[in-house]
Amino acid sequence: MIKALPTVLATLLAHYRRHPGQLAMLLLGLWVASALWSGIQAINATARDSYARADALFDTRLDQLERRDGAPLTRADYHALRQAGLPVSPMLEGEVVTQDGTKLTLIGIDPLTLSSDNPLAQADTSASLTHFLTPPWQTRVAPDTLAALGIKRENAPGATPRLANGKTLPPLILTPALPPNTLLMDIAAAAQLLANSEAPASGEQITRIVTAAGALSEPPVGLTLTRASSPASPGQLTESFHLNLTALGLLALVVGLFIVQAALGLALEQRLGMLRTLRVLGVSGRSLIVALSIELLLLGLIGALAGIASGVWLARRLLPDVAATLGSLYGAGVGQELNLPWHYWAGGLAVSFAGLLLAGGGVLWRAAHLNLLELGQMQAWRNGYHRQLTFMGIGGALVLSIAFALYSWLHVQPPGDGLVAGFGLIAALLLASALWLPPFLAMVIKGLTHLARRRPLIHWALADMQLQLPRLSLAMMALLVALATNLGVSSMVGGFRLTFLDWLDQRLVAPLYLNAPSTQYDDIDAWLAERPEVSERLLTRRSESTLLAINSPSNSPSNNASNSPSESRSTTLLVELYGITPGASLTPHWPLLATIKDRPSAWAAFDEGAVFVNEQLATAEGLSPGDRLTLSAPNGNITVLLAALYPDYGNPSGQVLMASHQLAARFQAPANSMGVVVHDNANVDALRDALTTRFGLSSDALSNQGEIKRIATEIFERTFTITRALNVLTLAVAALALLATLLAQARSRRQQLAPLWALGVPRAQLAWLNLAQLGGAALLTGLLAIPLGIVITWGLVAIINVAAFGWRLPLYVFPWEIALTLATAVSVALLAAAIPALRFWRASPRALLSEEAHQ
Amino acid sequence: MKLPRLLLRSIVLTLALGGLSGCSDDNPADSAGFAGLGQDAEGFQHAQPDQALTLPDDFPQQHAAHPDYRIEWWYLTANLKDAAGEPLGLQWTLFRQALMPPSERPAPTPWAADQLWMAHMAISQGEQHQVAERFGRSHSQAPLKTPQDNQAGVMISPFHAWLDDWQLKANEETDSTDFNSLTLTAYSGEGDARFGYRLKLTAEGPLVLHGVEGFSQKAANGQGSMYYSQPFWRITGEVTLNGDTKTVNGRGWLDREWSSQLLDARQSGWDWFSIHLNDGHKLMAFQLRGGGSDGSGGGDNSSADRQRNADYRSGTWITPQGDATPLATGEITLTPLATSAVAGRDVPTRWRLEIPSVEIDINIEAPHANRWMTTSVPYWEGEVHVSDRASGEPLGEGYLEMTGY
Repeated sequence: MIKALPTVLATLLAHYRRHPGQLAMLLLGLWVASALWSGIQAINATARDSYARADALFDTRLDQLERRDGAPLTRADYHALRQAGLPVSPMLEGEVVTQDGTKLTLIGIDPLTLSSDNPLAQADTSASLTHFLTPPWQTRVAPDTLAALGIKRENAPGATPRLANGKTLPPLILTPALPPNTLLMDIAAAAQLLANSEAPASGEQITRIVTAAGALSEPPVGLTLTRASSPASPGQLTESFHLNLTALGLLALVVGLFIVQAALGLALEQRLGMLRTLRVLGVSGRSLIVALSIELLLLGLIGALAGIASGVWLARRLLPDVAATLGSLYGAGVGQELNLPWHYWAGGLAVSFAGLLLAGGGVLWRAAHLNLLELGQMQAWRNGYHRQLTFMGIGGALVLSIAFALYSWLHVQPPGDGLVAGFGLIAALLLASALWLPPFLAMVIKGLTHLARRRPLIHWALADMQLQLPRLSLAMMALLVALATNLGVSSMVGGFRLTFLDWLDQRLVAPLYLNAPSTQYDDIDAWLAERPEVSERLLTRRSESTLLAINSPSNSPSNNASNSPSESRSTTLLVELYGITPGASLTPHWPLLATIKDRPSAWAAFDEGAVFVNEQLATAEGLSPGDRLTLSAPNGNITVLLAALYPDYGNPSGQVLMASHQLAARFQAPANSMGVVVHDNANVDALRDALTTRFGLSSDALSNQGEIKRIATEIFERTFTITRALNVLTLAVAALALLATLLAQARSRRQQLAPLWALGVPRAQLAWLNLAQLGGAALLTGLLAIPLGIVITWGLVAIINVAAFGWRLPLYVFPWEIALTLATAVSVALLAAAIPALRFWRASPRALLSEEAHQ
Repeated sequence: MKLPRLLLRSIVLTLALGGLSGCSDDNPADSAGFAGLGQDAEGFQHAQPDQALTLPDDFPQQHAAHPDYRIEWWYLTANLKDAAGEPLGLQWTLFRQALMPPSERPAPTPWAADQLWMAHMAISQGEQHQVAERFGRSHSQAPLKTPQDNQAGVMISPFHAWLDDWQLKANEETDSTDFNSLTLTAYSGEGDARFGYRLKLTAEGPLVLHGVEGFSQKAANGQGSMYYSQPFWRITGEVTLNGDTKTVNGRGWLDREWSSQLLDARQSGWDWFSIHLNDGHKLMAFQLRGGGSDGSGGGDNSSADRQRNADYRSGTWITPQGDATPLATGEITLTPLATSAVAGRDVPTRWRLEIPSVEIDINIEAPHANRWMTTSVPYWEGEVHVSDRASGEPLGEGYLEMTGY
């Protein structure tokens, strides 16, 4: 029998020679699905590798010392600290621009003091260290930074690339463990590269003084110590981003497998006769299954390989955007060069095969249980379709109850938790809706059939729809899922965009923003106070503190009168302190989410020393207005009233907002920036020039509101390029699934329509009928996708976002998006139906008659 | 507006250092001699007999660094006793190494360095041996007006040698600008693991020039170093060990040495002795293993003789008044009597030293073998007891340094 296997296989495959379209569909489905999936996995793998490298650095976190007065640290400060016995090390950081315009981070270190691990210990002699320390020095760089330097990997070691400013880098040494876009060198070399006309003595001032985490129990006099642990780990944030990507990829895979399933089902059905003949000829059922499995594997191999190759291509196209997004959102450096471990390839193949087996399993099972004696039945699928619908209904109900359970569980979770459960909830909702779609469609058709009793043609059309439903349902399910997700994601992105831009407008009220050395602010403030055109000076300050305790008054307002017990708990959370000037131009616009009483009283309390906290912190610690917070301060702990919550999109850290003058008095926080509000018609440019000249400010010390907005918007737009691209691709795959299904059954459709034509119905009318049938089904699916899409949007903004970022977005619904979604659904269906309809229209009467003969 | 935070604050570098030490582009020449000290030193100034030091005219200038020479040290060892009479040894050394010859020095821009500094400290008592090491950089041509101008360096009036907070400097209380009253501070570690010392050093005798007016030959081919000592320190102060602070007093020996090629490339290491004899005499003796013959070869020497000749020996006999007599290689016989296993090596910890010209035949024994310096350049450095070879009578104490094992 084994000998017959090649013959059997050849016979089976011969089917595709006669139906190349089916083969193309199968391969297309596999290809698209695995391309999207593996593309996303490739992006994730590369990004994770980049984090792993950055994390290796995070492992050896450093505490940081800064001067309390905000003035820059100098070399002499550093030497004085060393001579006081503190194990500190200097670090110089800056940006250099490559010739292609890429900005790279330059870090200068002193290897002699940086680590307690002995740098000389392993090398026995100081030769390699000497090369690092002495001219021409060395540039340590990861291979994925080379592209930005315009250098090929094989030429990299020892190369001295030129920067945009004409300076050359010290000879390169490849250090794959470094994060991307980072150049590491001796501090002396870095000082020379960073020296420019504005800072000729670069290196006399240093960016930071660091020390091993925990090496100092308290900061030296005049300095502040910032501990390495950060309130929100970028790992968590980026993880949610990747989960997002993975979910989209998985969706693409599922939708792609719908196509495969449809095409495989058809291919089997059309070969039932052939299979039966083979069995009658003596081929055993087992050989048949083996042959079919080999066919599946072959198809799978071709599809998956093509898919992975395209996935890598796709990833290369998207990676720069992903890298930019992660870089600007979370500060996580991601290499722009794909970095794929071997298991990536194996994993891609495995997932594609698993999907194929899932999709083809049913087909194999049916082939194995072939009834030899049963005559060929074109509607094999329809057998037991009612039972199948019942199963779908029950399955949908089950999945929905899982979704409900997840929701209830999430409800009792502390806010900010349950990212995975959030995604699970959305997936369950999608699946339940998909499962319920066919029973729903069947029900609607049945109802309509009942109504159209007296209109025979429509009655026929509906009955015919019922007949088509088993085969169409999979494609419609795919369409529903894709449409709903598309709607959900695009509403979320759109809502985010609106909120973010609004929020920027509210926050950026001054036309001019000043970033000067912190020692200069007092003078500048005094000078600006004299200027007639300046109406307000909005000084900001920054510092850090530890949230030590939270004291919540009893929740029920009714026992206000009685001395209600309050609930107190302690924490050790590091928070940002941000000081703003609550001026007349700022307070009316500054968005607040919740207050104790109302906005005016919140701002009044704020001016007198109450604080606001951002939504992230409130969510994470369960704070609400009226609570009292105890913060660590240089002169002992301070307890303040929490007066309001405010949105703070994009900030990974918990933030406590207080009036600038309060922050200065209580925390000795240095000035950070100043917004300069001017009267209408004032000449901003003249003021800018006067300020620059008077105080000798550098060119980038003053920025325009418009400029800041432009940069912020740019970062934002980049963030969602990927989401949008993947979204469109997913929808395209769903459209393909529908098209594949309809094309596959075009021939059988002709068999259904030919008798009607023979009965005297004009061909044009039949063609239109055909279009109306599918268009109607798609419209129905599209209409269903709208509420589902809104529910998904809600899940994204109210559950996923809160879990991932700590802030909730307002739920926006965009009617235009909804109309577009509906239009997409209908036009995809019409397009898919148009080709068979057109073919039917054009078919010669002879051909139609011959169909009739076959019937 | 909140623009994203930079991750830079956390960019860190043990990783980069891992990369540094992992890099294997070590110059083969570096393996010449112990710790590269036999390396060819082209472009550097060389220690030569014609650079004779004169007392007192050349001082205090010579206490300062000599950046045109490749290597240099300020090396203090001390044999102390705590209040309970328990012996305690300590070491403090500031090493300077020029990173390049004077002609290749970079411009003295901020952080640019032509000098690499390394400091070692050790405290030994009984089986305990605590060691620490520090590194620093400086530029010899950058202005040095206050210690805050550099992480490490040496200034001479008043005397101040430092790397971070490890400092040997003129005693501020006595406002002394000469070299006769110094304080030494060095601490390392935190909490219970903290160890270190704060000591007062008082010179009870003059500086001593070794070799020929300070030129100390180190190999038969004429290689050598500039070398002087202050062997007459009386030391008092406090030592912290295991978080316990105790008062100590005793004797110390400070060596000053600079050179560009200390060793002949064939020499693998040295055994160096500094001895305080109870009768007030001081004795310095060393042997450099290998490189003792000048290569011309004696025709009828036995192979054992050649072997012995291959070790180059030298020394200085110092009277209690500080008068020095150089000892030539032929006057000294050094015989290892027993070895101890230390840090996976066999290190001679009992020696016989014979110098018939000054009637010395003594046994020198390290009471504790566990004195391995686990520093970037590892070596053995510890206290020794001296006794009469014949009678076994205790004659004194001192320090032994052994490298290249």
